[in-house]
Amino acid sequence: MSRFDGPFAFRPALRAGARFSREAKDRPILTFESVFKSYRSGSPVLRGVHLTIERGEFVFVTGPSGAGKSTLLRLLYRSETVDDGRILFLGKDVARLKDDAIPFLRRNIGVVFQDFKLVPAWSVYENVAVALEVLSLPTRLVRTRVGEALERVGLSGRGDDLAGVLSGGEQQRVAIARAIVGEPALILADEPTGNLDPQLAIDILGLFEEIHEGGTTVVFATHDRTLLEVRPRRVVVLDEGKALDVPQGIAIDSDDHYRLPN
Amino acid sequence: MISLSTTLRARRGMMREWRLHALSIFSLAVAFVCFGASLLVVTNLRALEDRWAHAGRASVYLKDNAAADDIESVKSALLRVGGVKQVRYVSGQQARLDFGASQQERATALASLPAEAFPSTLEVEVVPEMTDTELVDMATKLQKLPSVEDVETYQAWTERLSRLIRGGVAASALLALVVLFAVLAVVGSTIRLALQRRRTEVEVLKLVGATDRFVKGPYILEGSVQGAMGALGATGLLALLFMIIRARLDGEFVNLLGLQPQFLPWYLVTALVCSGALLGALAAMGTLRRLVLV
Repeated sequence: MSRFDGPFAFRPALRAGARFSREAKDRPILTFESVFKSYRSGSPVLRGVHLTIERGEFVFVTGPSGAGKSTLLRLLYRSETVDDGRILFLGKDVARLKDDAIPFLRRNIGVVFQDFKLVPAWSVYENVAVALEVLSLPTRLVRTRVGEALERVGLSGRGDDLAGVLSGGEQQRVAIARAIVGEPALILADEPTGNLDPQLAIDILGLFEEIHEGGTTVVFATHDRTLLEVRPRRVVVLDEGKALDVPQGIAIDSDDHYRLPN
Repeated sequence: MISLSTTLRARRGMMREWRLHALSIFSLAVAFVCFGASLLVVTNLRALEDRWAHAGRASVYLKDNAAADDIESVKSALLRVGGVKQVRYVSGQQARLDFGASQQERATALASLPAEAFPSTLEVEVVPEMTDTELVDMATKLQKLPSVEDVETYQAWTERLSRLIRGGVAASALLALVVLFAVLAVVGSTIRLALQRRRTEVEVLKLVGATDRFVKGPYILEGSVQGAMGALGATGLLALLFMIIRARLDGEFVNLLGLQPQFLPWYLVTALVCSGALLGALAAMGTLRRLVLV
């Protein structure tokens, strides 16, 4: 069976005329090479971050507030640009993309935020369908795929509800449905449980794990130690602008200090 | 090309912010009414000029002491001139009676006018194909005759009209500039406000990989619709005013000017609406160029 047909099969949304390289399938999905980023001169947020994420991984990115978790993700979907270094997504340097190529990068990345970033005046259906409308897919296909995405996040039959009247947990589910409806290669979650109560946070994490089981790579940025404790997975700790990789997960002691496993 | 999605999103945006768009359309309509009104005046002045330039007539004013034989010889000489269709003698008394019939309410005032106010004339009707030069030539020859006081070919009147039209065209051009700036300002402000209100929408669209064209499309369409509806609304308002005025003063216009006032021709209305749509789209594009960033 070809790697293109397996459970981790991924067909990126490419620009018209662009060719998909088979070699890209064998590369890590994400590579950070000596990435530097600062907002103010003299105080860089990221100081030479090196990080490799393989296809199909679930990685927690954690660290204290201001450590650069969100910056790391923003650099990935080109909301920010690196000062130095390279970020390779499927072998392409994200930092060197031209402006008109950025939408095509974003079509291959699903992003979920702490504040959901939904349009309150739109219905649940419209908020999810927008990710497919930009691809100019036929309406019937959009309807089917949005229905499937809503079913996956447990909001089947809620398509007509206005997003603005949903509870926080439901809004985050809509945001997740929007992120997965285009079947992206990579899901970035930037503190997606930050506005939710602990039980709801664990439910949402479970949803991301289900998505991951389907073969999608998930990068989950959080400072919620409970989540790190309940799901021991690969953790990348960002501190003082550097990335520390902890493949077997992390333990946090009673003084809120990260404790690496023996 | 405008996609279905662009149209749907533009319609959705306009429906959700209908008050903002209605206000914008109203403001544009006011600007277009001024421009449309000037076009209407120019159109009717042109019709008037055309009517009088090809009036096909001249009035030969006779001296008070002109003898009947002299008048008859002038009349028969005129009838021999090529292009002259008919010559009619109108005595001073007849002129007074004719004028009195059309101004019955001023009968007393008319009765007090001196006899010189209504000189005897020869009303000459010429074929419309007769050129201005031929008419002037004929008038010059007539003026040399001893029984002729003056000859009116109505050329001075059409020249004055031409000057008026040139003034009207200049005023219209000035108003077109005003309309241009009004459209740029109104549509620009509306799009800026709409963008501000739909900031999250734009952010979401960018996030899911919408191209700049996809994001801007509905706003450009909205600007275009605003411009077109503003122009169309102005035309409708102008048509209503025109009908009211014509219903009240139609007879007066015919008596005074010799023709019925006409509304803007269909091609001018179409041009007005199309230019509104184009200007609206351009104004929206200009605003978006500065505001929507990747």
